[in-house]
Amino acid sequence: MAAESRPAPTPLLKDELDIVIPTIRNLDFLEMWRPFFQPYHLIIVQDGDPNKTIKVPEGFDYELYNRNDINRILGPKASCISFKDSACRCFGYMVSKKKYIYTIDDDCFVAKDPSGKDINALEQHIKNLLCPSTPFFFNTLYDPYRDGADFVRGYPFSLRDGAPTAVSHGLWLNIPDYDAPTQLVKPLERNTRYVDAVMTIPKGTLFPMCGMNLGFNRELIGPAMYFGLMGDGQPIGRYDDMWAGWCTKVICDHLGLGVKTGLPYIWHSKASNPFVNLRKEYKGIFWQEELIPFFQQVTLPKDCTTVQKCYIEISKQVKAKLGKVDDYFNKLADAMVTWIEAWDELNPAGAESALPNGPSK
Amino acid sequence: MSRATIKDNEVDIVIGALRSDLTSFLNGWRSVFSQFHLIIVKDPDLKEELKIPDGFNLTVYTKTDIDQIVGSTALSFSGYSCRYFGFLVSKRKYIISIDDDCFPAKDNKGIFVDAMAQHIENLTTPATPFFFNTLYDPYREGADFVRGYPFSLRNGVDCALSCGLWLNLADLDAPTQALKPGLRNNHYVDAVLTVPRTTLMPVSGINIAFDREALGPALFPALKLAGEGKVRWETMEDIWCGMCVKVVCDHLGLGVKSGIPYVWRKDRGNAVESLKKEWEGVKLMEEIVPFFQSLSLSRTAATAEECVVEMATTVKQHLGTAHPVFGRAADSMVEWVRVWKAVGSKSS
Repeated sequence: MAAESRPAPTPLLKDELDIVIPTIRNLDFLEMWRPFFQPYHLIIVQDGDPNKTIKVPEGFDYELYNRNDINRILGPKASCISFKDSACRCFGYMVSKKKYIYTIDDDCFVAKDPSGKDINALEQHIKNLLCPSTPFFFNTLYDPYRDGADFVRGYPFSLRDGAPTAVSHGLWLNIPDYDAPTQLVKPLERNTRYVDAVMTIPKGTLFPMCGMNLGFNRELIGPAMYFGLMGDGQPIGRYDDMWAGWCTKVICDHLGLGVKTGLPYIWHSKASNPFVNLRKEYKGIFWQEELIPFFQQVTLPKDCTTVQKCYIEISKQVKAKLGKVDDYFNKLADAMVTWIEAWDELNPAGAESALPNGPSK
Repeated sequence: MSRATIKDNEVDIVIGALRSDLTSFLNGWRSVFSQFHLIIVKDPDLKEELKIPDGFNLTVYTKTDIDQIVGSTALSFSGYSCRYFGFLVSKRKYIISIDDDCFPAKDNKGIFVDAMAQHIENLTTPATPFFFNTLYDPYREGADFVRGYPFSLRNGVDCALSCGLWLNLADLDAPTQALKPGLRNNHYVDAVLTVPRTTLMPVSGINIAFDREALGPALFPALKLAGEGKVRWETMEDIWCGMCVKVVCDHLGLGVKSGIPYVWRKDRGNAVESLKKEWEGVKLMEEIVPFFQSLSLSRTAATAEECVVEMATTVKQHLGTAHPVFGRAADSMVEWVRVWKAVGSKSS
């Protein structure tokens, strides 16, 4: 095979990928995504009032779940799914039957690259997920599998096969994903910098995972993508994706899976109200000072060989070590267990471990 | 975040001259170099006289100076290692060092990049090694910490090392470049980021800057391949040094950044030819990486010097027995610290 032949086109994976969209308002944003999303099956998770009808634009193949559906399908276990918070999206991950998930917020639109071309975010996520990650040693030219890049001098050959990619974390132009205090201090700041890179977040390093533009291999890491207890009746909001990200990263590190961040960009159009955000995040801002050291020191025993086992183990440690921070964490630990039980019920036998993707380079 | 304004007289630009005619190199950098003091160290193996254009504030060191100042030593300053002599005799806080076959690069807008200014910016804004910021360097104009980044970690730590990148001829190894002879790096990635704590990386010596006060002797000439040559494909000295320096930074709570600035690196040499020599280095990396991944320094190693000495002992014990090249590297590290203490100056 010629070393410098033209790259093969990215496979569509239209029968292997579901797009999960939480919404409480409407799905007008899908019109702009139509050229890229129409081949795919959508899972719409309707938050809020189940009596409201959410209109899905014509021509999309979808299934839609409102709160009544969630309660019906999960019964008492529905308690683990948040209400009045986009965290409810993780119900969509659970009911999907596909290998890959892409999730996007309903205020995210198609961005343009520096040449003015529309960015097919989904295609980039697929590229990211289909080729290996490099969590064990940092490549200074970023993703070595990208066209025009490679491993640098000094990168050991034994590590060049990389690790299977479990997560592809995309970014946002325009309204950046800042917390409430930063939004208050810099209400006008917009992210205008297009950083043309994808990179692997190294093993042992945590990061804030944003759920706005996120792809993952459901077979490799799905059960770890629980977005926690947020919204109605809960003391905290806007930490759903953070929680899932910390659990996911710890588990990926333990199982030798990779997490990528960087491209693709989407255009984030809606700045949420910083005062509302502050009220939601308030406890989280204090709690994360305990949560980060907690996740940094979590170790998983060798016999945690599946995502579910890892996740249950984390839930035990959450109860033991974070229960004293606030009773919320006792409830969350219980909800984590409920989530896994519900996941395993809806995804029986064979969902426990999946063969990792082979390296495609 | 407030930025320290550093004076030009806090910076030395150190150039290892592996070719005698530095005219086009220095003229290429003139607009950016001319406000700084330059230390030019001539490769002791170079026979020809150096050709240096006028109009620079510089000090040139040759083999005679090296022999006189360092005295009797087993250390070799041959080839790319000549620049370390420049680090040794500098009296400044910051050092920027670039290979003499690199030129200013253009960014995505077609504007020439002031690599000196960017390195200084990297070194004088904090690094964030304990938690990854998905918008990269939060101290850059137009960026910040993202939601979910703990507030207690937002002060960051001092950045001690800034690793720049290369357009055109990237720093790939010989096998890779030989396999893809046409591969050139045209990808300007407009980011600088902190390489997280405990994460190791190949630090290329082609385009770096560091805080000499903080790191002192932690950059050193130590690992010499048997067939070490005058192209980067035939060396590992910077990669070895970089692994050590990352461990030192992680241990001392200092940061390492990687990314911009880019320099434009001229096509030079023949990867297939170099392949024969560099293979040794490629094999050695397989031992080097696991060793450094498991290396931890004792609490009593509180300065860069103490870290280097302790590392040298461990290298000798664990790697030196298998390969003499590591034993010699360990000896060089110890000798370097001795020389540094004897000759190296405090900043003035």
